[in-house]
Amino acid sequence: MFGLSTYSYDDDGFRTCGVTGLHIHRSAEDMVKLYGVTAIVMLAIGGIAAFFVPMTRWEAIGLLSPQTFYTDLSLHAWYLLVFWMVFIEIAILYVGGPFVLGRRLPLQRLSKAAYGVMIGGVALVTYGILTATPPNAAPMDTSYPPLPSPAVFYLGAIVFILGTILAALPFLVTIWKEKRERPHETLPLIAFGAFITSIVALEALVGGLMAYVPTFFWRMGWLPTMDPALYRQWWWILGHGTQQINLLAMITIWYFMTHVVGGAEVASEKVSRTAFVLYLFFINLGAAHHLMADPASGVFWKMWNTSYAMYGAVFASMVHAFAIPAGLEVGRRRKGLGGGTFGWLWSAPWRDPGFSATILSIILFGFFGGITGVMMGQMQLNMTWHNTFAVPGHFHATVATGTTLAFMGLGYYVLRLVFGRDWVGGTLATIQPYLYGGAMGIVCLMMMYLGVLFGIPRRDPQVMTIPGTSWSFATPTTHLIFAIYGIAALFAILGGALFVGIVVTSLVRGETFAGDMPVDRSMLADGSGEASDPEPPHAQSMRGTFVFVLVFFATFVALYALNWFLLSQVWQIG
Amino acid sequence: MIDVDEHSPLEEPDGNWWNRPVNRRESIWMGISGAWAVTMFGWMVGWMDFGGQNETGPTLKTSPKRFRKKVKAYKQQAGTATIDGESVLVPPGDDVYVGALQWSWDALPMVIEANKRYTFHLSSYDVQHGFSVRRKSNLSQQVSLQVLPDYEWLTDMEFAEPGTFEVQCNEYCGAGHSTMHGKFYVVDSLDELSSSTGGGGGGGTGGGGNGSGGTGGGTNVDDWLSDAGNYDGTVADRTGEDAVTVRVGAKGNGGPYAFDPPAVRVDKGTSVTFSWVSDTHTVTVQSQPEGANWQGHDAIEQSGFSFEHTFETSGTYAYYCIPHESLGMKGAIEVA
Repeated sequence: MFGLSTYSYDDDGFRTCGVTGLHIHRSAEDMVKLYGVTAIVMLAIGGIAAFFVPMTRWEAIGLLSPQTFYTDLSLHAWYLLVFWMVFIEIAILYVGGPFVLGRRLPLQRLSKAAYGVMIGGVALVTYGILTATPPNAAPMDTSYPPLPSPAVFYLGAIVFILGTILAALPFLVTIWKEKRERPHETLPLIAFGAFITSIVALEALVGGLMAYVPTFFWRMGWLPTMDPALYRQWWWILGHGTQQINLLAMITIWYFMTHVVGGAEVASEKVSRTAFVLYLFFINLGAAHHLMADPASGVFWKMWNTSYAMYGAVFASMVHAFAIPAGLEVGRRRKGLGGGTFGWLWSAPWRDPGFSATILSIILFGFFGGITGVMMGQMQLNMTWHNTFAVPGHFHATVATGTTLAFMGLGYYVLRLVFGRDWVGGTLATIQPYLYGGAMGIVCLMMMYLGVLFGIPRRDPQVMTIPGTSWSFATPTTHLIFAIYGIAALFAILGGALFVGIVVTSLVRGETFAGDMPVDRSMLADGSGEASDPEPPHAQSMRGTFVFVLVFFATFVALYALNWFLLSQVWQIG
Repeated sequence: MIDVDEHSPLEEPDGNWWNRPVNRRESIWMGISGAWAVTMFGWMVGWMDFGGQNETGPTLKTSPKRFRKKVKAYKQQAGTATIDGESVLVPPGDDVYVGALQWSWDALPMVIEANKRYTFHLSSYDVQHGFSVRRKSNLSQQVSLQVLPDYEWLTDMEFAEPGTFEVQCNEYCGAGHSTMHGKFYVVDSLDELSSSTGGGGGGGTGGGGNGSGGTGGGTNVDDWLSDAGNYDGTVADRTGEDAVTVRVGAKGNGGPYAFDPPAVRVDKGTSVTFSWVSDTHTVTVQSQPEGANWQGHDAIEQSGFSFEHTFETSGTYAYYCIPHESLGMKGAIEVA
């Protein structure tokens, strides 16, 4: 597809990847290219919309009027959080299933039809957002009734969800066929991770339909009302579920990239697979942690739900937080690529943007995104976070640094391993993940400071001068933090644009990838080139990883304590 | 020949992978993670016992209409006080009602006493809103609670320190969202304020941040109506008529947010009827000639409501609608 690849297939339509050893069929690869390239287009559009958000909220610049800002923010949200993420995740499913298992993609025509339906959904949603003039309101990401948006918007969301479900079916059929043909064999870890991702995805998507279908009916006048509390509960099954899909896809990519580029091996199949299964059981109902500061939801439901999610899903995340760097550590130790406590890490290919993007994704997701997410999910702490600027601070950390960086890293290797082209740009490609990740990390921090320490609202373009009152959030400090936020955002957007530019240019003009192995896999332990039977992964030292997770834990505890202290300074409530 | 790792995530694992040992440090980390998860759960539950901030109040099922009536009745029983020249509501008892609407907070501004437990009743007259409160002198002391139509949330609050509290809606609620501001005061003692008790009638709260009922016979109509989108610079001449009607909530300013006509000239002694043609508006006096005593109508009313006033004093009367002032819902009467 696209005719941009340098690889060719045998008569059966298969080729063997010189780096991963995978047997890849054309039916799967064509769809990976289609969905993957579409994802990049969505990223670019969402990125253009992104420019106007900080350039408005940094009110010293204040580019857009409120109405236009709300429209732009809605486009930014849908194109990045939904379209960029979902299109690339379908591509990831097709990699995790057919690529890893060496199978054809079944139902390829369904996959193409699903693509068409999804594009239809994109068009309807876009039209709905652009035509949201009074009495309609811009939908944002959440479109909470009874604030109405154009009916075509809700219809578009439904169509997009249906298209996504259809696109996931060929992946599920792949897994089903594999298990039928080889019932006694275990799926490789990455295929297993992709499988869990797809199950969680289906649950989330069904929740979305439960929210959007009745709301669409209400908007068309076929139902008299749409209960606002019920909508929030159903919608957040989609809203939270999709974020966990992003998390699962990201973690699957972390395993993939640390292995392919860094030489990681699996530290413990049992532990990693159990952690994936925990996600499956514990994510479904976790939605209620978005309703902590809501009426109507009972305290027992809130407590049980947010801690249920904590017992299961957060524990699973902390397991992966160890397992993935540990896999890198043991894999590299076994290959003789690093001695001492941290040698395995310093010797890693930091100039390789696939590698650096992956590691930055892990660090930024964990420290900035994961910790804040857990804190926000504590019922009482939520009161100091709810609907403040700290909320997008949190989810830009998880999605814009964590998941997006992981997908960017993958993108560099899709160029090499799917399109057979090396990336252009040399040093530019090397610095791109650092530029983007570093700048976006600063953006997230500033948003969180403004939100938690100053109570500045999200989704509000006029906080430094509030029409109708002389009071505002303007202080010398907030002015300064908004300026840092705005400038860092410009660099982040530059970093994102650089990625899109490198990818597009490489697709068209990149040199044929020579097939160099990112990591030399023929050497084991003693560096002599002869197999010397090093210890299995579990017996290797994981002391480097252990130090890192302890630092992470200390940070977690400190931030947790600080947040509860801040809450304790608020007047008595309840 | 490609050499791949023995423990690759891209290959199925060999043999009995379930029964392989787990690295000691990995096990320790899982123990730490599990203990931490339980600790966080325990702390959150425990805070309901030893902590001072818990949003655990009951919710009543209601409707926008029912809650609006409740707040109206509450405002009628409430007293008023004056703080910094602004008229401020004094709750009649321990219950504080706040009605969120596009785009203002009904029954704010208000004043309560420190070290006294109040039950806040929060609901919305229309769409979802965010009751986000902070202490003016320390923005870090802030909380946000979701406000839903059809649900009345009761949350107790007690303020140990007096101060001014700024309320800003933080749930996107349409065109005027960023203007949706309110405030309340906490004072050591209500007795020290100049106030009147009970029977405040119809509302008595200023809102909108511009004060109400002040004098200003010299108000320039063009200045006042500069941001009223439906004012084209001409003052409708209705002199010679005994009775004139101003439509409240006519189409304009991006929705049903206009007075029609926005500016009108009448003779002294003319009866002017303000007639609501859409929902959720007030006729709140901004300024009037010295000696005039027009009260306007501060209570939020719905389509079909009307009230009348006979203008006896010459000069310019400026008025506005509280929730829609920022959108330009303003008007003026010139009495010859």
